[in-house]
Amino acid sequence: MNEQPDRVAEFTAEIESMKLKAGGAEGEKRLLLLGVLAVGAGIVLAVIGGVQVVNAETLMDQQAYLATGAFLGIALMVAGAALFVRYSLARYLRFWMVRLVFESRANADRIVDAIERASGPR
Amino acid sequence: MNPSIDAPVVEEIPLLSLRGVRAAYGNIDVLHGVDLDVPKGTVVALLGPNGAGKSTTLKVACGLMAAKAGKVLVAGRDVTGVRAEELARRGLVTIPEGKGVFPNLTVRENLIVATYGGQKLADIEEVAYGRFPRLKERRQQVAGTMSGGEQQMLAMARGLASNPAILLLDELSMGLAPLVVEELYGVVAQIAQSGISILVIEQFARTVLGVADIAAIMLNGRVRAIGSPDEIEEELSSAYLGG
Repeated sequence: MNEQPDRVAEFTAEIESMKLKAGGAEGEKRLLLLGVLAVGAGIVLAVIGGVQVVNAETLMDQQAYLATGAFLGIALMVAGAALFVRYSLARYLRFWMVRLVFESRANADRIVDAIERASGPR
Repeated sequence: MNPSIDAPVVEEIPLLSLRGVRAAYGNIDVLHGVDLDVPKGTVVALLGPNGAGKSTTLKVACGLMAAKAGKVLVAGRDVTGVRAEELARRGLVTIPEGKGVFPNLTVRENLIVATYGGQKLADIEEVAYGRFPRLKERRQQVAGTMSGGEQQMLAMARGLASNPAILLLDELSMGLAPLVVEELYGVVAQIAQSGISILVIEQFARTVLGVADIAAIMLNGRVRAIGSPDEIEEELSSAYLGG
């Protein structure tokens, strides 16, 4: 068992200096949930904003409700939907890739097995 | 492993540690609390039958897969959730199963791809051809047309070119003839001599136990036994056959 002190020390120092973001394993799930909540909040805001615009008596009021209610609601919906698509798609694609890896491994095992059987006992 | 009573016990932080790691594919739990250490400058062999969770353990260790619970510590620092490329850039290098090379590129072009990390091609070629002279003879050959062993050498050469501190090897022997596997593990032994810490995942144990300092058996998503290669070899058949 040899040591490679310089490289290990350098590696340790680099790991030590890494800027790590808080959270960790469940970060994606949280962002997915945040996306769903943002879409929900956006819909509520947009509906409230719409109703207020309809009931507003002056153009100034209508513009204010449009800006604070409807537009903000729509922006939240778009941002939330983007978050949801990004993180749900990432999970789906990862699962799909794992499936591909599993199938390719099973296939390789089958080929190796067939070659071994064809070449007979050693 | 029991430390000798007479020897002073020096608590050295392992270069790579997994603590109570749980992981799942969707709703299917695969790892049920894995604890494993790779001390500095050692070769650790993680053995087990197909489906035991070895490759998943490696994916979590290198950051390719997120842990559901537990911690991944590198050089004593919690790096759970850090992306694989961040860790690889700093020296935690993975050589995946199934010969991770670009089959439609030549050997040299595959090495050029490795310059993405910032190394010079000349340095990469020096390391690659120095360790695997056969690759120099085949440098203009398309990687996909080489033998399985040579492709695996190319994958290892690319990994080594990035100056790793920890090397994670997944199923080096998969689909290769026993003689080729023996040759590759000879290279692994040489790499270990240079002081790089290595975690080897293997289904077939005999060859890897010859180069390992520590061996562990994994079954059903848990590390069931850990010890010297000799100790583990005795337990292997019962572990594999469920005895």
